[in-house]
Parts: sequence; structure tokens; C-alpha cells
Amino acid sequence: MKNSSFVLLRALMRSGGQINAIRYGHDKKKKSQFIGQIIGIGFLDLVILGLLTLMTLGYGLLGLTDIIPGLCVLTISLVSFFLTLLKTNGYLFNFKEFDMLMSLPLEAKTVAGCKFLYMYLKSLPFNMLVAVSMLISYGVFAKPAWWTYIIWLLLSLLIPVIPMLLAAFFGFLAAKFSSGFKKKNIIQTVLIFIGVLAAMFSRFFIQSLFEDEKGLELLENIAEPIHKTIDVYLPAKWFELAVTGKFWALLLLVAVCVLLFEAVFFVVGRSYREINSKLKSHAAAKKFKMTEQKTKSVVRSVAYKELKRMTGSPVYITNACVGELLVAILAIVSLFVDPVTMIGAVANGVEFGVERLYSAIPLIIYFMLGMVSTCYMSPSLEGKYYWIVSSLPISKKDLYKGKMLFNMYLTVPFMIFSTICFGISTHMPLPAVLLALITGFFLLCFSTAWGCVCGIKHLRLDWENEVEVIKQGSAGTLYMLPNMIVTMILMGVTIALGTTLNPYIVMAALSLVSGLMAFFSYRRVLSLAKD
Amino acid sequence: MDKKAILEIKGYTKVYGTKRAADNVSLTVESGDIYAFIGHNGAGKSTTIRAVVGVLDFEEGEIFIDGHSIKKEPLECKKILSYIPDNPDLYENLTGIQYLNFVCDVFGIGAKEREAAIKKYADMFEITDSLNELIGAYSHGMKQKLALISALIHEPRLIVMDEPFVGLDPKASYVLKQIMHEMCDKGTAIFFSTHVLDVAEKLCNKVAIIKNGRIIESGTMEEMVGNQSLEEVFLEVHDEEQ
Repeated sequence: MKNSSFVLLRALMRSGGQINAIRYGHDKKKKSQFIGQIIGIGFLDLVILGLLTLMTLGYGLLGLTDIIPGLCVLTISLVSFFLTLLKTNGYLFNFKEFDMLMSLPLEAKTVAGCKFLYMYLKSLPFNMLVAVSMLISYGVFAKPAWWTYIIWLLLSLLIPVIPMLLAAFFGFLAAKFSSGFKKKNIIQTVLIFIGVLAAMFSRFFIQSLFEDEKGLELLENIAEPIHKTIDVYLPAKWFELAVTGKFWALLLLVAVCVLLFEAVFFVVGRSYREINSKLKSHAAAKKFKMTEQKTKSVVRSVAYKELKRMTGSPVYITNACVGELLVAILAIVSLFVDPVTMIGAVANGVEFGVERLYSAIPLIIYFMLGMVSTCYMSPSLEGKYYWIVSSLPISKKDLYKGKMLFNMYLTVPFMIFSTICFGISTHMPLPAVLLALITGFFLLCFSTAWGCVCGIKHLRLDWENEVEVIKQGSAGTLYMLPNMIVTMILMGVTIALGTTLNPYIVMAALSLVSGLMAFFSYRRVLSLAKD
Repeated sequence: MDKKAILEIKGYTKVYGTKRAADNVSLTVESGDIYAFIGHNGAGKSTTIRAVVGVLDFEEGEIFIDGHSIKKEPLECKKILSYIPDNPDLYENLTGIQYLNFVCDVFGIGAKEREAAIKKYADMFEITDSLNELIGAYSHGMKQKLALISALIHEPRLIVMDEPFVGLDPKASYVLKQIMHEMCDKGTAIFFSTHVLDVAEKLCNKVAIIKNGRIIESGTMEEMVGNQSLEEVFLEVHDEEQ
């Protein structure tokens, strides 16, 4: 008899991956789309590999080769922790085939463990990309023995396990706690947000914890917290020791990963059925009383439907709203903490004149709000219920306009609030605030329309789990990459021009550029949405 | 054939907040029984069925499958039962044959036995030709047929089905009824929910009616129906309880 974990994991991999669908499917369009995706993702991987290699080569050139192993562990660990936290609900808990799996003679611990391993295997390509790029730079400068390369790659397979287990355990606690409440989704979403924010702000906490000497050089500013963090985060220390020949550290890391896996899934398995039962069960309320009903236009009605779709899914809401939450927090903090100090903290001590911030403020806000656009995921999220919108007399234009309207409803209020807060904290003159609002609005229009273009072009309705569309879909990847590059370029150009030109001229030019980008993206949406 | 209790539900209670979705439900299904579980929408049928197959946790009562407690020995119970949900969520990116092999692997069915069982039931339900297609491309009825095959191939002692006839074409419904009789003759117990009362009346030897989470009538079909039809009895009992 085959091992049940292997059997289940193989089924999950076959079902969650696209290869099986392409191999046995007959849709030629889908096949060519898949090939396009492979090429696109391959290109993206090369870009990431190149960027990370260049970055770590830079550290090597600056004489900081010894921090590269630790940096590799910390990067993979933080990304793994953060992404697992966002994916736990949907992968480990509250997944749709729960009834089918749990009615089979499989232990709860096996099901939970396999779901975790599936998550791990899906994230492995990115983690290995980070590991390989840093190994290249380490190899160039440290010139280690041949076995170091093998140990580095082998241990890189283990590095994400511990942070992922910790995130999964946090997700388990959040699910267990929230399952006792009537409004389970809200409680779970809040708890996941707390975890995500804690992970994001831990960098600043660690930095502030160890920065006890003033006037450090920039290089030491980077190296010191990494060294200190490695001393605290033992798996990073063991990795560092293992690649320098201390084989006991390798064995220790393997043993800790295995033991932690067993311990976490022993605990999770014990209340797995109970938690999932509670999360998936809803008592039918019978208290409805017919009152006066309100009418809405088709577009607003689609936008409202989208709102309910988002609030009904902790995975959707945590991914869609993380930028909004961050920007709101920063905006409020900016009222009490000098924004120049805040930027300095983010940019490792690089100093800015407050006037130079004026034209960059819309882009700083957009960097967070435009990180995710609901429009790239919402068309695919219709999934197998796509028939509802496609059988109703809604034109595709109205459907996508509704989806875009929802993204604007979600982002614009946060943009207005944060622009005003940053305006107050930086003592921006009123005309500059107005220009920042206009620029911010156009940037969000661009994010919305560009997201919609990606969502329509890479529509995927046959997903098994919504995480595949929200976090791992090709639409999301293709939205984020150009968007991030464009934002970085605009940010650089704006800050550079801000030193020589009048900030109002820079802001007006930025408004114009973002307005044009929004216009052309919107036109593309309309042409793609022809019935 | 000696009758033996295969499914025993004793005082099963499931509470959602303040609502008792199942309230002190007790019934026994013996080997060879075809037991219908009927009730209006939201009466508690699926809540009971999901607890029987070990998917849903519950607070009060006990459920035994062939003497094993579903709470304490879920694996032992699941090895001898099969469950077909009302809307089977199968892995859509697997082909039909891959899915059946997955289930066979989980139950540890040997290569020859699985080949024979899959061929037998796939031929009966006329989906052999489609087994190499992705499940995502199947119609609702075909998915239902695949779920039925996956439930039958390991020859369970208890088959639990939630609305098994929904989505099946007339031929497949006929085949399913034949299979149910065949399994029952071998001593398998079948417990299923349905809204198709005339099918239940012709097919089953026992029936229970559930309303607002409570069993309001149960017994053999003969005792329950007498000279009336099951539909008449159901409506009568249902209205009496209003």
C-alpha cells in the first residue's frame, strides 16, 4: 500500500498545477496561454535572479560577503512567513474539498500536513531563486569549497520550513480562535492582519533594537542589524555555520525542521476537524423581514457584489486590503512622527528635504495602494459561478466597469485620507495638496484599469483554491511587475527632477503621465470587453 | 441473513450558536437496509449525514459505524464507509481515472481489483470513454457518476449518500437503484437523503422523517406508509408538526 501522505500530495500537486490540465485538456487557447505564462514567468524569474544577484554582488564589492548567507536565510524566511500567513486560510483551513477528503480514511494530521507540504512545494521555485542568486554572489567573493554549493542548495530547501510552520501555526491559532465566533471571517481577517503587520514591522523593530550607536556608516547600518538578527534567529546561524563546514549545524537544522513539523501537525491535527467544521458551517438565519428595497445601477450593483465577495473571504480581504491598512497607519503616524524621519527609517538613513517629498507623496501612497488591484483577481474569482454574470443581461463593459468601480471605492478614500494627513504633516501648501490628490486619483485609475486588463487577458476560472488566483495567478504577476517598475521609475524621476524644477511643475507632469497611462489602460479594457 | 447494526446514531445533537440543527437524533441502520432520510430543506439531513461520515464535529450524542465510534475511531469507521455529498467537490484538474486511482490508493485497493471494479462500474454508468478527460470538463451528472464509482469500488459496508439522484440521467438513476439492491443483498447498509419520495417508497425498507432537527417519524416503510403513499404521509406528518 502506498503511503497515504504521498498519495494525497501527488493528487494535490496534479490538481493544483496546470500541467495536468494542459496535458489532458483540449482547449488550444488555454494551452497557448499556458506556454505564454511559462515564458512570462520564466522571464520574470530571470529578472528577479538578475536583480538579486546584482544586489548581493554589490554587498560583496562593499566587503560584506559574510552577511550574504544570513541575508539569504532572512529574505527567504520573511517572505515565506508573510506569504504563508496570507495563504493559510484557504489552503490549510476552509478549503472546498474538505468534505471529500475528510470522509476518506485519512488522518486529520495527514490532510493538514499534505496541505502544508503542497503550499511549501508551490513556493519552492521562488525560494530557490533567492537562494541561487545569493549563492552566485557568495561563490564569486567567498570562493568556497565545492561542497558548500551543495550544502547551500540542500539547506535552502529547508530554510522556508520553519517560518512557514510558524505562520501556519499562527494561522491555526487564528482559525481556532475565530471559529468560536459568529462573525468568523471578520475575526480571522483581523488576526491575520495583525500577523502580517507584525511581520512587516518586525524589520524596524529589530533594527531599532540593535541600533545603539549613533553615527554609524551606511554599510554598518545594513550589516549590523543582519548580524544581530542572525544571532537571534538560530536557523540563520545554523545555515551560516553549515555552509562554512560545521556539519553538526546542518544536522541540527534538519532535526529541528522535522521535529517542528511533527509537533505543529500533531497539535493542528487534534482540532483540525473541529475548526474546519465550525468554519464551514453556518446556521440559516430565519429572522429576515421584508423592508423597502433600494435600487442600484448595474455597474454599482456589480461593485456591491464585489464588496460582498471580498468581505466574505479572509484570503481576498487580507490580500486586497493590506496596502490600504498600511497607508492608513502610516498616514496617522505621520501626524505624530516627522515624515522625514519615517522615510529615513524605511530608506536606511537616507535623508530627504521635506519639499522634495511633495511630488513624491502621491507615489509613496500609490506604492502601497497600487501594490494590489482587486481588478486583476476579481474576473477570475467568479470561478465556477461565472455563469451567473454571463447568463444575466449584463454587458461585459458594465461587468468590468463595476469591478473597476469597486477598486476605486476601495482605494480612493484611503488615498484622500492619507494625502491629507501627509499634507498636514509636511505642511504642504493647499495647491500642492490638490495636485497630489489629482495625481493620486489618476494613479489609482491606472492601477484599476491596468489590473482589469491583466484580469481579462489572464482570466482563469478553473481554479481549485482562490489563493491560486489571488496570490499565484499569472494575472497578478503581470499586473505587479510592470506596475512596480513604472512606479519605481516615476519615483526616481520625480525625486530627481524635484531637485532642479519647481515641485508644482513636477507634480503637474506626473499627473499628466499617470492620467495618460490610465486613459490608455481604460481604452484597452473597453476594447477587451467587447461582447 | 443475520441483521447487524451497521450505523447507530444515539442522541446526536448539533448546535450552531443558539440553533439546534440536529436535536437528539437517534436511529439505527442494519446490514441490508436501504434507509431513506427525508425532510424539508434545512431540516437537518445534511448536518446529520456529515456527522455520520466524520466530516462534521458535534457536541452531544454518539455515532457508531459497525461498532466503532466516529468520534474516537474515525479512521476505522471511514475504512468501511463511503460518502457521496450532494454536490461533490472533486479535484477538477485530475482526470476521472486519476481521481479513481487516488481513492483506490487511499483505500489500498490492489491493481487487479481496482481495474475490475472501475471497469465494472464505469461501464454500468457509461463513462468509461470519458475517464481520461479532466473532471473539470464533466457535466454535473458525470461528476455525480464518478463520485458514485469512487464510493463503490472499495465495497463498503455502509454507503451514505446526500441526494444521490440529483443530476443523474434516467438510465444512471436506474443503474444506481440496481446497484443499491445488489449491495443490499450482499449485506451493505445504505443510508441516503432524498426529496424524491416515490423513489424512496419503492426502494427503501426503512425511512425516517426529520423536521427542525428532530426525528418526527421513523420505522419500516410498511409501518409508516400503510395504505397511503409516502408523499401523503410526509405531508400529513409535516403539517401536524406545524
